[in-house]
Amino acid sequence: MKLIPLALITALVSLPAMTQVNLKYEQYTLPNGLTVVLHEDHSAPVVGVVVMYHVGSKNEKVKRTGFAHLFEHMMFQGSEHVGDDQHFKLLQEVGARINGSTNEDVTNYYEVVPSNELELALYLESDRMGFLLPAMTQEKLDNQRDVVKNERRQRVDNVPYGTSWEKIAKAMYPPDHPYSWPVIGYMEDLSAAQLEDVKGFFRTYYAPNNACLSIAGDFDPVEVKTLVSKYFAEFPKGREIERPAAVPVTIPSEILETFEDKVQLPRLYISWHSPKQETREDAVLTVLGQILSNGKSSRLYRSLVYDRQIAQEVNAWQSSSEIAGLFQIVTTAKPERTLTEINATIDSVVSGVLSGGVTQAEIDKAVTGMEARIVNRMSTVLGKANSMAAYYHYTGDPGNINRQMDLFMNITPAEVLAVAKKYLSAPRMLLNVVPEGKPELAIQKIQ
Amino acid sequence: MIRYFILTSCMIMLSQTTPRAVAQDRTSVPAGKAAPVVEVPKIQKTTLANGLSVWLVEHHELPLIAMNLVIQAGSDHDPLNQPGLASMTADVLDEGTKTRDAIRISDEIEGIGADLGVSSGTDGSFVTLRSLTKHLDVALEVFADVIVNPVFPQTEFDRLKDQQLTSLMQQKDRPTSIANNAYANILYSTDHPYGTNSSGTPASIGSMTREDLVKFYDTYYRPNNATLIVVGDISLTAIAAKLDKALSGWTPGEVPPLTIPAPPAITARRVYLIDKPGAAQSEVRIGYPALARSTPDFFPVYVMNRMLGGQFTSRINLNLREKHGFTYGARSSFDFRKGVGPFTASSGIVTDKTDSALVEFLYEIDNMREKGMTEEELAYVKKGLIGNFALNFETPAQLAGMMQNIILYGLPDDYYSTYLQNIESVTTGDVLRVSKKYLDSSKMAVVVVGDLATIRPGIESAALGEISLADTDGNPVP
Repeated sequence: MKLIPLALITALVSLPAMTQVNLKYEQYTLPNGLTVVLHEDHSAPVVGVVVMYHVGSKNEKVKRTGFAHLFEHMMFQGSEHVGDDQHFKLLQEVGARINGSTNEDVTNYYEVVPSNELELALYLESDRMGFLLPAMTQEKLDNQRDVVKNERRQRVDNVPYGTSWEKIAKAMYPPDHPYSWPVIGYMEDLSAAQLEDVKGFFRTYYAPNNACLSIAGDFDPVEVKTLVSKYFAEFPKGREIERPAAVPVTIPSEILETFEDKVQLPRLYISWHSPKQETREDAVLTVLGQILSNGKSSRLYRSLVYDRQIAQEVNAWQSSSEIAGLFQIVTTAKPERTLTEINATIDSVVSGVLSGGVTQAEIDKAVTGMEARIVNRMSTVLGKANSMAAYYHYTGDPGNINRQMDLFMNITPAEVLAVAKKYLSAPRMLLNVVPEGKPELAIQKIQ
Repeated sequence: MIRYFILTSCMIMLSQTTPRAVAQDRTSVPAGKAAPVVEVPKIQKTTLANGLSVWLVEHHELPLIAMNLVIQAGSDHDPLNQPGLASMTADVLDEGTKTRDAIRISDEIEGIGADLGVSSGTDGSFVTLRSLTKHLDVALEVFADVIVNPVFPQTEFDRLKDQQLTSLMQQKDRPTSIANNAYANILYSTDHPYGTNSSGTPASIGSMTREDLVKFYDTYYRPNNATLIVVGDISLTAIAAKLDKALSGWTPGEVPPLTIPAPPAITARRVYLIDKPGAAQSEVRIGYPALARSTPDFFPVYVMNRMLGGQFTSRINLNLREKHGFTYGARSSFDFRKGVGPFTASSGIVTDKTDSALVEFLYEIDNMREKGMTEEELAYVKKGLIGNFALNFETPAQLAGMMQNIILYGLPDDYYSTYLQNIESVTTGDVLRVSKKYLDSSKMAVVVVGDLATIRPGIESAALGEISLADTDGNPVP
């Protein structure tokens, strides 16, 4: 392995030194609005290619939930110049790693190829960006609809506690809020999707001006720019896209729900509304999540799992997306324990934070953990290409990859206390999941 | 935390000068350039005073160090009446030393943002560490302490034993876990270490004592039964000096040899049905004990399986997912272990298509056995494996995994330098030969976990073999 001259990460000399990401990159925009981000890394003969579209389940309409993700599947089914099963076939033939993913806010397509096959990746990504519709058929849609329904069964319906998240989303957001439905969608909505929906969705959201092409790895920058123009410049710019705004959401009073599932142990999900991602308050709540549940001395873990041993596990974290967030605590009871008992312990821990705050040592430990996680994420060309594209869509600037630690700097106990009070004193939702026939294990009423 | 700003040297160029684009000819797929030369990372080795072998690959791109102590004893070393022993030993190893209690170990490691983990698999147990280079000394001190001076405190053992019993309950809620555990038992029986649940059983965990763990540790966690892998931003001389000091208290011992017994012989195909009323899908496992990692047929079998069920564009996945829409994904694999590991074709299938999917699985296995692969398919698979090789040396975790593979299975040191040649030399004749030898579906077990009220009639009329009912452990139901 060669040592790269473009060293990306610098450990600063002063103490306490934070290791800061320092990634060199180049950004430009084609006349049709496609944003291109390039980062050279010659340490291994591989290239990561990411095409991230700024569209996700929050752009769906009610009664058509799951559509953005179903559409993602259609992008692998061939385009005008690429045969029906050729996208995967051509990439696997050269040994590429390939996948796509969809969340509430973005849809991501990526491949890691040996560096000699970069042009193939650009050819395939561009053909489906520009020429998907001529190859679209009812048969393909029906087939992928079946595959996606199976994906839902595999990941949600046949999994213990699998439908909890969609129950929480439905309760926390009003029905017209785009985070009120699951990314995977409801079965009846998947059934309802039409070929015309596919076409309309493509024309609106798969325009070059709604995409970021992010390439990291072993390439020649002059050559790659020529190839990008060759394959991507001919598509017309699409119209401006209307995006759901970040309107603050609250619930007026506490919500208590219970459902019975094919499980043996009860599980409790607690959710509060919280700020959207990439904000200072988001970072502060991320730190609080670590203080509550990361490691043996974290407050909830120590109390519920280590000392009292009434819970099998507990996790607390700030789960934030582009226009809103939720702060969540999830815990599974040990056999013979009730969620009422567990919730009483959680209440006392959370009250302890709200009255007494946290210590600087707890904050420092959490921030140190963030630092190591960020460095680790930068260990692959794909990780870097993904992060740059995501920062572009979410913040308008891929360069924020080099400022990932900024939001976590100088967090004080007073600030954690203020943010915790602001969000965790508000009404919350409690979702009890209990074994079939054992509703008595649930919290019966909110104290 | 104080933030010290540095000037980043981002080169941002906003360009709007590209000339107006013309339509590009897309009728032919771009041909790749000459394949890059993949430099197989150089492994440096040394031996510490206590006999521990240390393998290092230098990796200077990130200020990180990764270590993995490979102990040559995993769940394959569990006594037959004590499944879960290797797993529990690993769980409790980092829960207390002569001078550190569990909370202190956890606090010291988290205080520097490091990760310390102990785990066990079928073929080995692993103590892993990942740390920023600047915190290496602290991280190494704790890492070495849990390896050299663990005390397996009774209170921590009791707590983790209770957690393990709860976790075994939770496994029973997951159809995938039920299928995997029952399948292993059906293939190997609980008289074979590969037939028992590596997490243990309620009975084995319930009766386990901390002395059992101490004995497992004393017997197998020895420098002469282990190899330490290091990947990162450090030289061999520097790390060896630190390790010699940190691990000096760790002494060799006599390690009893273990022979993994041959798996039981299977004479006919049987179908095993496990009821999960109301299941949204059927979890399917088809296969039998097949091959050890030491097989001379490794490369032809590996190439053959990639076409059969080892990648997205494999025959099995294209048939069951893309053609029929039965599943989100279907695959097959040979699990090459120190002993004879299983061949397994597996998937989660939509309930009302379970019987049709079983027929398609068996069709693909039989078709490969009868016809092997075409020259075109073979060229396709080889090209993919060769291209993919370049992707395997990027991260510290990948580099450590590469060394672990050599260490666990006693592969030659030049394994990765000769890998491409070995792939290249596989012929369609080799593929057909190994398909005939190792893909005999007439002797495979077909295990299905699903809603029997719905799926049983269809499976019965498919007449795939004698049908038995099994419980969620894979034991016969009278």
